[in-house]
Amino acid sequence: MPVPVIMPKFSMTQEEGRVMAWLAAEGDVVEKGDPIMEVETDKVTMEVEAPESGVLRGVAVQEGDVAPVTAVIAHIVLPGETWSPKSVKATPVARRVAAVAGIDVGDVPAAGKVRRQDVEAYLDKVRATPAARRLARAQGVDLTAVNGSGPRGRVQAKDVVSPVVVSPVVEEKVAKPVSTMRRTIAERLTQSYQTIPHVTFTVAADMTAVTELRQRLNAREDAEKVSVTAVLVKVCAWALGRHPLVNASWQEDGIHEHTQVNVGVAVALEEGLIVPVVHNAAQLGLGAIAAQMQAVTARARNGRLQPADVQGGTFTISNLGMWGVEQFTAVINPPQSAILAVGRTSKQPVVVETAVGDELVIRPMMKMTLSVDHRIIDGAVAARFLQDVVTALEQPDTLLW
Amino acid sequence: MPYQTVTDERKQIETSGLTPEQLLEALRKMHLIRAFEEKAEALYALGKIHGTMHLSIGQEASAVGACLALRPDDTILSTHRGHGHCIAKGAEPPLMMAEFFGKEVGYCRGRGGSMHIADVAGGNLGANGIVAGGLPISTGVGLSLQMQHTDRVCLTFFGDGAANEGAFHEALNLAAIWRLPVVYVCENNQYAMSMPMKAAFPIRQISERAAAYGIPGVTVDGNDLLAVYEAVQTAVSRARAGEGPSLIENVTYRWRGHSKSDRQRYRTRDEVKEWQARDPIIRLENLLVGADLFTAEQLADLGAEARQTIEDSVAFAEAQADPDPATILEGVYA
Amino acid sequence: MREQVLEKASGEPLQAANRELTYSHAIREALQLAMRRDERVFMLGEDIGVYGGAFGVSDGLIEEFGAERVRDTPISEAVIAGAAIGAAVTGMRPVAEIQFMDFITLSMEQLVLQGAKMRFMFGGKASVPMVLRTPAGSGTGAAAQHSESLEAWFVHVPGLKVVMPSTPYDAKGLLLAAIEDDNPVIFVEHKLLYRTKGHVPEGYYTVPLSQSEVKREGRDVTVVATSIMVPRALEAADLLAQEGIELEVVDPRTLKPYDADTVTRSVCKTGRVLIVHEAPKTAGFGAEVAAEIVAGEAFDYLDAPIRRLAGLDVPIPYNRELERTAVPQVADIVREARALARGEY
Repeated sequence: MPVPVIMPKFSMTQEEGRVMAWLAAEGDVVEKGDPIMEVETDKVTMEVEAPESGVLRGVAVQEGDVAPVTAVIAHIVLPGETWSPKSVKATPVARRVAAVAGIDVGDVPAAGKVRRQDVEAYLDKVRATPAARRLARAQGVDLTAVNGSGPRGRVQAKDVVSPVVVSPVVEEKVAKPVSTMRRTIAERLTQSYQTIPHVTFTVAADMTAVTELRQRLNAREDAEKVSVTAVLVKVCAWALGRHPLVNASWQEDGIHEHTQVNVGVAVALEEGLIVPVVHNAAQLGLGAIAAQMQAVTARARNGRLQPADVQGGTFTISNLGMWGVEQFTAVINPPQSAILAVGRTSKQPVVVETAVGDELVIRPMMKMTLSVDHRIIDGAVAARFLQDVVTALEQPDTLLW
Repeated sequence: MPYQTVTDERKQIETSGLTPEQLLEALRKMHLIRAFEEKAEALYALGKIHGTMHLSIGQEASAVGACLALRPDDTILSTHRGHGHCIAKGAEPPLMMAEFFGKEVGYCRGRGGSMHIADVAGGNLGANGIVAGGLPISTGVGLSLQMQHTDRVCLTFFGDGAANEGAFHEALNLAAIWRLPVVYVCENNQYAMSMPMKAAFPIRQISERAAAYGIPGVTVDGNDLLAVYEAVQTAVSRARAGEGPSLIENVTYRWRGHSKSDRQRYRTRDEVKEWQARDPIIRLENLLVGADLFTAEQLADLGAEARQTIEDSVAFAEAQADPDPATILEGVYA
Repeated sequence: MREQVLEKASGEPLQAANRELTYSHAIREALQLAMRRDERVFMLGEDIGVYGGAFGVSDGLIEEFGAERVRDTPISEAVIAGAAIGAAVTGMRPVAEIQFMDFITLSMEQLVLQGAKMRFMFGGKASVPMVLRTPAGSGTGAAAQHSESLEAWFVHVPGLKVVMPSTPYDAKGLLLAAIEDDNPVIFVEHKLLYRTKGHVPEGYYTVPLSQSEVKREGRDVTVVATSIMVPRALEAADLLAQEGIELEVVDPRTLKPYDADTVTRSVCKTGRVLIVHEAPKTAGFGAEVAAEIVAGEAFDYLDAPIRRLAGLDVPIPYNRELERTAVPQVADIVREARALARGEY
């Protein structure tokens, strides 16, 4: 039996992938483990390896084309086997339905033998009204990801976006085609903002201690440079461990508190942004955190991210301080329950209490705004979490506790 | 047909009140119609004209005799066999030929063709593709002329076939009850396509139907220009005087088939030859020569002159521009 | 506006301000004003004189204008149409009446092959400024040969215009516009509308042809309705408003040439459309309305399938209940519009 090569699924939310390049051509002999193609998902570009040794046959997706995940896009014909497209296993009914629809039954993704249901599922186009399609085009929403509220699941305008003033525009400029990444961002943010009740809390931290700490650490010649963000990752990871509700997800069946603390850091790219994840950040030292962040960011900029680089985040930090932003609020990255938006550090007059009374001093201050999923996190929980973050920033030795 | 004596012929012409000039002009028009149609037929054979056409060769006296009784401001309605009526009412052969060729300068800007040729300014409200289609309209024209208190009249041509359409009855009845100034001229050319008049009517003469509407009905030899003229003149005078419509039946014969696709299985060659011997043009020439108004020599070149006029018309028409397709919608709505 | 003292058939003077007239009186007033204003305007038809028309529309006009201008004809539908055409093409402005729209079948040749085409066939060198008024529709128990709604036939003929008013105000203004128009206009009245009342200003005014009108604004569903279906749609809209569903009712008023833009704008707003007419659904005017929507700008705003609610494909039956069943009623419009608004289609 020829072994199918499928469009792999690299992440939970991924629904399709684009074949960027075939590294082996139709008829090439490949060894198991050889890279045979490059696939672009919404997040990363991946190499896909040959599942077996043999001859690559039946390449069904051309470079640049998109296939749904798990779709069979080629086969590896094992030594001693002959290749014929008919070697796809399918029921007679499935073959007939596929033939009537003018598709190759071999194109139909199926777990094992292709059945009639598989073909029908494959053929099922998105049912959506013209108005829903127009809105989806304008807003970069992938209709296949939208649950339709109309008869037989038809997507209606309100499913794409809740009440929007639809002006009877007679002219509309053709929208700029959007990248997979932009489309994903648009979908995720829309979904997040529409379904998660956001509440925000802003605090300021005195960064004197962090500044001194970074100066000391970065003075060491053999070490990675430690950024404010790296410190924030460490600090947040510690605080998240103390406040599990901030490290949780709202699910249909209840609140899931995550056992790991994986802190994502938003990184701007030309096309949008990605969120590399520092796994088990609470267990890592600042050097390791800084090194991991740099490596992932470099891979992201080269388009070589591994799925693990961006998966599994339980909390996100978005730092725009380096761009001079004073403070801002961020939209939660679902299924997470909170995101910390970090502004710049600037010298501010601060009143401090001393034994001799109040004194006006100048301190490097940094504002942070925490957006939380109010379904999970009450105001007091958010406040206590932020209090810990501020304390740890102002007195880093707290982390040693 | 027995030849008449000189005195009979003179007497006849004097009774009609027509001048020698009018008669000569009538003869010219008959030649022109003949030449126009013979040329049209030839052009069709050459593939220069498309569609179809219905030729009235042999019926020229009916068209010319009837229109001779009209003033320029009177109105006619014509039939699918309408080239003769058009020329008789005073249309310009070059503009007619241009319409035949579908040219922009044609009477109908190339939109009408042979079957809808009209000269609205000249008082011809058009040939008509529908048998009896013009009859109700002519009643309306008569109504209009009456309501505008003019002494103008409307004359409508139709064939023997049309007299069996319901519209014939409705049109004549309404014109009769309202005493409208309309002259209904039935050109009985013996066949409604292939249906012989004798088989289609239970009466000897179509004019008998006038009695049903209480209006005058008269049947004349449609190949006799003077007979046609006199009958129509009487009807026109009646109409102008507000005395209402009349029905005239011109008994004639079409030499050609119904249209270009007619194999003429319904009649014999002998029958056609018999009618060709009663050529209305020769008949009028004989009358004019017999009455000593013109010599044979004086009339000898009329046919050739007419043919030359038509040749010139063809040359004119062929040189004209086709309508611009961008103007196709013009004239659908006012 | 010129001061006009108008009288009803009974002779009682009409109130000047905010006065209401029936649809039938509004049409009569239009005829009266047109004939007073223009000597070329005259009427012809069956029983329109002393009888006053089969539905009383021309009641009293023969007294004012005489038998010369209010002409009773024999029962001759072909020549009624033909005489109107012939008079129109030679300088008059006739208004013909065909007593029931059903009988227009007897006028078809003259209307379709002669009147509609004459101007075009003659290279634009003639015009046929005539109006043919005719009462259409069911609801009178007159059964299959006196209840036809044949407007779509004429919409299909280049050269004809087709007007179908739904209110007394429109009936008067559109009829005056039709009489002013230089083309043959088929003016379709509805028997059940004759007795409906509405505001009609005094004096001469026209409602331009080829302008659809929004009869009621609403955000949820566009209802495109013609003739008798307009008041029914408005009644349905009142009922649904109590449920919080707002219908926008658009009346094309002129079916040919049809102003699709108004419907387009409305559908762009609501995204849902119900088309309602009395004539049978198959190849009815609603098909044209629907086609204009999907073929144009409104397509991208459709948020549900276009629904058509029209007469059944059946001759109008005699039995009262069957007759009602054959054509859309208020409850049908309510049901369909509600389902559309709720996203059930």
